[in-house]
Amino acid sequence: MLVSVKDLRREYVMGETVVKALRGVSLNVEHGEFLAIMGPSGSGKSTLMHLLGCLDRPTAGAYSLDGTPVEKLGDVELSRLRNRKVGFVFQAFNLISQLKVVENVEVPLIYMGVERARRRELSLEMLQAVGLGHRPNHRPNELSGGENQRVAIARALVTKPQIIFADEPTGNLDTKTGHEIMEILQGLNERGTTIVLVTHEMNNAKWARRLIHMQDGKILRELRGEEIQRLKDLFQD
Amino acid sequence: MQFSESLRIGIRSILVHKLRSFLTTLGVIFGVAAVIAMLSIGEGAKRAAVEQIKLLGTNNIRVNYVKLTGDQAEEAEKKFSRGLTYHDGQLIRENLPNVKGVTPVRFVETSILLGNKESTGRVVGTDEVYEWVTNFHPSEGRFICALDVADAKRVCVIGDEIRSELFGYRNPLGRRIKIGDTWFVVIGVMESKTVKEGKASVIKLRNINKDVYIPITTALKRFTDEDRPNSIEEIAIQVEKEEQVVPTSEVVKRLLNRTHKGVNDYEIIIPAELLAQSQKTQRMFNIVMGSIAAISLLVGGIGIMNIMLASVTERTKEIGTRRALGATERDVLIQFLNETIMISVTGGMIGITLGVVMAKGINLFAGWETVISLYSVVISFGISALVGIIFGIYPARQAAKMDPIAALRFE
Repeated sequence: MLVSVKDLRREYVMGETVVKALRGVSLNVEHGEFLAIMGPSGSGKSTLMHLLGCLDRPTAGAYSLDGTPVEKLGDVELSRLRNRKVGFVFQAFNLISQLKVVENVEVPLIYMGVERARRRELSLEMLQAVGLGHRPNHRPNELSGGENQRVAIARALVTKPQIIFADEPTGNLDTKTGHEIMEILQGLNERGTTIVLVTHEMNNAKWARRLIHMQDGKILRELRGEEIQRLKDLFQD
Repeated sequence: MQFSESLRIGIRSILVHKLRSFLTTLGVIFGVAAVIAMLSIGEGAKRAAVEQIKLLGTNNIRVNYVKLTGDQAEEAEKKFSRGLTYHDGQLIRENLPNVKGVTPVRFVETSILLGNKESTGRVVGTDEVYEWVTNFHPSEGRFICALDVADAKRVCVIGDEIRSELFGYRNPLGRRIKIGDTWFVVIGVMESKTVKEGKASVIKLRNINKDVYIPITTALKRFTDEDRPNSIEEIAIQVEKEEQVVPTSEVVKRLLNRTHKGVNDYEIIIPAELLAQSQKTQRMFNIVMGSIAAISLLVGGIGIMNIMLASVTERTKEIGTRRALGATERDVLIQFLNETIMISVTGGMIGITLGVVMAKGINLFAGWETVISLYSVVISFGISALVGIIFGIYPARQAAKMDPIAALRFE
């Protein structure tokens, strides 16, 4: 089991009110899965992703990532876990604008302690893999949105993580480019990378083999394979 | 993350905003330059003072004639006190047998001629002891001897500059020069001594390289001052050890007070005390200047902190991204702290260069002696690094403590 979550709760204190973002979520993700998390805004899907991605700690509940119990870890261990086991792909790409493309891909390797020459080698390899091997020295602002997102994917993959969290990865892209990005993610999944996709677009969710639908901080329902396809058809009708 | 990586990241982000980084460093640049320049002036003045005092001799006491005016002059006349006289010098010599040397100095306002060439020098009447008391010796020929004084001979010893002025490269020994209306034989040439006539001088020193020494007796006899016969301008007293300076000066004071009947037509100068006094003044000057420089560094530091805080806000998303990719709080802290330290240390280095240039400029244009000591450079460099740490720690902590999720969402 890669991800094992039991009765995960997350509460925020905002002024005098307590916002219950997650109200007890239990979930397992196996190695090699392609899971989509859907739900309206405020349903807690982003909170869940942040918790699963080790960016945040739950108020209550248990979470183990690849056998490591995460909920009690300190900053250094959490950062290490994020660095080694997790890759992120964001809606806004989140590339560092003053760094070259290849340097952006290198960033997680810096925190991993990989030596300079090796870092460059790995990053170039990864750019090659996402089809940007010919533009390593460009700045992010010289690339298109789709290319930026591919750089971000290369960055997420360069540490060979166990799981990739993609938060609305096509949100800033047109349909065609979005489709290409989803194809890349699917290709990765086919080669064994676990992918958790957070989206509110049914179009993207169809790529997943399992879908959980969240509402009000809880899992409303869970669909698999054929059911997802049916749901999608329903949406289109 | 390795420290070198953090440095590299820091240098990068500084270079991305070249103008902004430069403007940020300006405060430190000026602060450090001010520190360097101030300290160099202080150090220069100190050195000049020490040199001057050394020239006067720390084992020496000087008694100078003071010209009285108005009521004081009238009172002096009533009491028949005629200022400092040759007799005063002899009195000190007789009554204080343990002093090493006592020598009178009389300045004679008259012309020095060699043919048609007139010298700008100054005629000084003194005796054979002068050479030893002032530790100032002839490089050629000999100094005035006791016999010259006893017989009031018409001989003279000329300063190094007078020699070049009147004789050029010719040998002056045995030649005659005309002082006032009298011919004098040159018997010696004094060694050359550097006298700094800086504006920061504690005591006005005449350029002794332009002195022409004649026996005191000759000076008194041939260039008599009608109002003050036997008058002299100065008595130089040398004691064996430095600690005897103050007690001896007390005795001299009491002695002269009696003979001058309480009229203050003389002053006693103790070079060692002057030195202490000037050092005290110097310390005050240094403290005041140091405070001004420190304030400018403080302002510079606040400037850096302000910019860094803005930079942290501006780079919130980058911070969030780095955190998501595995940066620890400490990594972020070090990254930003490094940036601030690099800015301030670079500013420090530019400031040191500017300070050195300023010190040279002050020396060149204002004529003040400036000395740049190693310690002032080390101190300035240390201070600039310290400014970086002190004013960098808060913005860096702000960056490190940022919630990664909020930072990622920041637009």
